[in-house]
Amino acid sequence: MAAPSAPFRPKLGAAASLALVLPVAALVLVNLLPLVWGVLTSIKPESAIFAIPPQFFGFEPTAAHYERVFASGFGQSFSISIAYSIFAVMLALTLAFPAAYAFDRFDFPFRQGLFLLVVASIPLSLGAAALLIPNYVYFVHLGLVNTPIVLPLIYAAHQLPMVIWVMKGTMEGIPRELDEAAIVDGASRFGILRHVMLPLARPAFGAAGTLAFVGAWNEFVAGSVMIDAPWLRPIQPLIYSFIGFFGREWGPLSAAATLAIVPILLIFALLGRLVVSGLTKGSVKG
Amino acid sequence: MRTAKASSYAYIAPAFALLGLVLFAPVLYGGWFSLQNIRYGAPTGYAGFRNFERLLDDPDLADILLRTFVHTGASVVITIAISLALAVWINRLSPRFGYVVQIVVIVPWIISTVVAALLFRWVFLNDIGLAAWLARSIGINNFQPLTSPAGAMALLVAVSVWKRIGYAVIILLAGLKGIPDDYAEAACIDGASGWQIFRRITLPLLKTPLLLVAIVLTLSNINTVETPLVTTGGGPGDATRVLAISVYERAFVNFDLGGATALALLMFAGNILLVVAYVRLSKWKA
Repeated sequence: MAAPSAPFRPKLGAAASLALVLPVAALVLVNLLPLVWGVLTSIKPESAIFAIPPQFFGFEPTAAHYERVFASGFGQSFSISIAYSIFAVMLALTLAFPAAYAFDRFDFPFRQGLFLLVVASIPLSLGAAALLIPNYVYFVHLGLVNTPIVLPLIYAAHQLPMVIWVMKGTMEGIPRELDEAAIVDGASRFGILRHVMLPLARPAFGAAGTLAFVGAWNEFVAGSVMIDAPWLRPIQPLIYSFIGFFGREWGPLSAAATLAIVPILLIFALLGRLVVSGLTKGSVKG
Repeated sequence: MRTAKASSYAYIAPAFALLGLVLFAPVLYGGWFSLQNIRYGAPTGYAGFRNFERLLDDPDLADILLRTFVHTGASVVITIAISLALAVWINRLSPRFGYVVQIVVIVPWIISTVVAALLFRWVFLNDIGLAAWLARSIGINNFQPLTSPAGAMALLVAVSVWKRIGYAVIILLAGLKGIPDDYAEAACIDGASGWQIFRRITLPLLKTPLLLVAIVLTLSNINTVETPLVTTGGGPGDATRVLAISVYERAFVNFDLGGATALALLMFAGNILLVVAYVRLSKWKA
């Protein structure tokens, strides 16, 4: 019998462990094939794109599609989406940090009710289609539509409840004795936030920040509705407009799609572990 | 003990100001807006419930709701079935190998829906896509899902499932890890089969995460505009025109902002029901 602490795994037979290879292969194929196929299409010359049978290798790679994509305003949208996403992440982290601290450490009237509102807002911000139109008419009323700040504000607000939740979850694990010791040493509340909580809550910043970045970068609907001016248009609506613009030219279309994935894969390669832990700690984005 | 502190509101006020601006105020303003006569996008006086009544004049409304039900229902059920199997399987792998599989599973979830839908469109493009060629090579001729109503709906479901399995697997896996090994071990000693252990122990203990995942998946599938917009554009004909697209089109293609706001608010009311269920199930504590 296994020791009580050892994880319990029913023993697999030789045939079973051989059969392990099959599901993994199928999984990799189904999950990654569309991506790999898109990347390959983006570097194929025109003649190889529609070749039958499909060519996985043996063609002369070309950067022509990428050049056309950049000649069609891709660089501007790519840069402004980076700016929107970074600004949204900074804003969400900055606003969430003191809020999470107050919810975890202080007692005040309506604390429960207000935190309930935060928790409810996590799935609520998934309702993009339903919120979009009221949001649009309200922002038209405020004169915020088609301005550089409108998307960062929306993205930060959509991510904020999740960020507060992840941060509060992390702060629960930071002993209150540290706060008390700092107060005895004469630290202000701001000093505690800055010198005690900030360093200890860093994993929460990484996890929540990464999720918020991915959410902002991938957002489509608000970006296409709130923005008209080409120089303010974020990357996802631009790619959608490329479908009409390039029509059946799948070279430039797949090049644009490939470029849009790069920042996400990059940040994911760096912070993947944090994303998984952040997700399991409380994010509910579907 | 939490410190009683009235100045706590200063910590949470900035976060709630942003949530108020983007999430809460638009809903109230939208409520007022939906009761107005809207001419050229601007309110021109009280209209009662005329915007809501006009929704019922739409002869397609029943069809749109049915399609939304088919798309969301099929996507949620299939996503949960596959991700449950994957999560149980990954949970039995060695931690290192399991982590690698998890990463492969998450990739579709972190790339944008626009890009995912675009890639699927390319792979399944009529008779020249990669899928048609693969189908031909195993003897299925004329595999063109995008050209038939049922095929387009199936492809829409496929994209939705492919995109969100990663999220569901992570949450369910976290749930599985929370179940002590002793239970399965004890049942095994008592002679229970693998299926019996799954059916009588694992599944009941996984009830809460399963329901939470179901709610989040339902919310995100009902509310996604870009999945149908990019995958099928609502076509062929109206075969994949679901609720989210129809709200979007009513506002920005037909310029019926009053009707779109009314429809969006009805959708929002539906979202609220799901959010209430979510909040009641999740083990949040302030």
